[in-house]
Amino acid sequence: MAGTAMRPYVTSREDPESTSRREVPGVDHCLQEAMTIPGAVGASIVDYTTGFPVATTGAAPNADHEAAASGTAEVVQAANSRSLFVSAIPHDLLEDLIITTAGGYHLLRVVHTEFDSRLVLYVWLDRVRGNLAVARRQMQRLADELVAS
Amino acid sequence: MAATKTTAPGELLAQVAGERQTGALVVGGHPGGAVYVFEGRVIYAESPAAPGVGELLTSSGRLAGRTWQNALDLGTSTARVGRLLVEQGHLTQGELELCVLGATYDAAYFALTTASPTADFLPAATHWLGPVVHIDTVAVLREVQRRVKLLDDIFPNPRIDTHPVSPVARPPRERVTVTSLQWELLIHADGQRTPADLALLLGRAGYATIQELRRLAALGLIELPGVRTSESPDFVRLPQHRAEAAPAARPAPPAGEPPAVPVISGPPPSLPPPAPPPGEGNTGPNRLPRLARRKPGAKLPKELATENPPVHQGTDEVLLKRIRTALRALR
Repeated sequence: MAGTAMRPYVTSREDPESTSRREVPGVDHCLQEAMTIPGAVGASIVDYTTGFPVATTGAAPNADHEAAASGTAEVVQAANSRSLFVSAIPHDLLEDLIITTAGGYHLLRVVHTEFDSRLVLYVWLDRVRGNLAVARRQMQRLADELVAS
Repeated sequence: MAATKTTAPGELLAQVAGERQTGALVVGGHPGGAVYVFEGRVIYAESPAAPGVGELLTSSGRLAGRTWQNALDLGTSTARVGRLLVEQGHLTQGELELCVLGATYDAAYFALTTASPTADFLPAATHWLGPVVHIDTVAVLREVQRRVKLLDDIFPNPRIDTHPVSPVARPPRERVTVTSLQWELLIHADGQRTPADLALLLGRAGYATIQELRRLAALGLIELPGVRTSESPDFVRLPQHRAEAAPAARPAPPAGEPPAVPVISGPPPSLPPPAPPPGEGNTGPNRLPRLARRKPGAKLPKELATENPPVHQGTDEVLLKRIRTALRALR
């Protein structure tokens, strides 16, 4: 489906140095890592201004990554603009949004890039196999590694 | 160079993608742009209305201008500027991919929604950035259409996207809440800069800029662009004569009446104004009180004599940036 087709792939892999730089993954690698989080059934990176899934992998609620992305964007925008949590203290930026349902966990982690972007890493976890604390820590690491120099 | 004309850019893009071609779809018009395809998939897009990867990375301070220029010098001829930046350790692969993805969708929106466009396909043309991401063309086309609809859901006035932005002088309500990007836009909007100018100046995505501007229009915080009859689509705009600047033809106050603002506390208003002192060059009987009020400036008579409209500062800066971008694109 379109979800896999729009996934970018990394082209530079022939130089020997790249093996030593395994810790700075590309977008695709980041999503693969996200799928190794215990209980993960789907993951995506969403542009929350437009509600567009920039990259996706695995399953999505109702098998529709685009609908999931626009829902994700609405939640992030609501938290960012229509609530007071993110503006209580100066420079207090939104980090995570966690939504729990009877069947699963939905974790959103804002990816802070230095250049202008509004991106969020979204991972959907199975409720029985997922562990909220572990997943949150791993997503924090992934989001940091994606953009850390 | 096989060139295909008079086709909608979107249709032509879908066609060349179906044939798995490699090249550049160049869209003429305003704002216009180009979409680069590699074996039928989109690898990059650029448009004057959307900051490119270089602008995004340098204006945010993520890369020094020198670093970016170095990568351009080294990698342009072999079309591997993006790869070089990662190999030299200036960017992570993730940052580069996210930046290219964002810039590509952003520019594709402007290139493919250009009003009355011309479309040419230049086979075998590649972009100096090199293939960093490969995006399904259908996904790009669908996303562009979705973004058009998103804007109209906010506030259906496409003139806001292209016309110079003027904040309203007085907000329509007592209490106003704006996001940080809205704040940035409001304080940099001066009645001269277009949304594209603001996006380039601030290093913000072009689509995010017009999205926030439509929201500001919906809130009543920016002026709605009026419909002008003589619409000139020129990219370089001459500074307009601004109403608040000193008008060259100043209407003389009605004779015999006191000035509206009590400037000189002197004789009672029933008396005629005092005659100008001899030898100062002031001829009109009404000139003296007004000039006396402006004394610290002391340059008004010259301004009144020369009818030059004030040259605006911001347009130079934006124009220079555009020229720089265009020169880089020629490399």
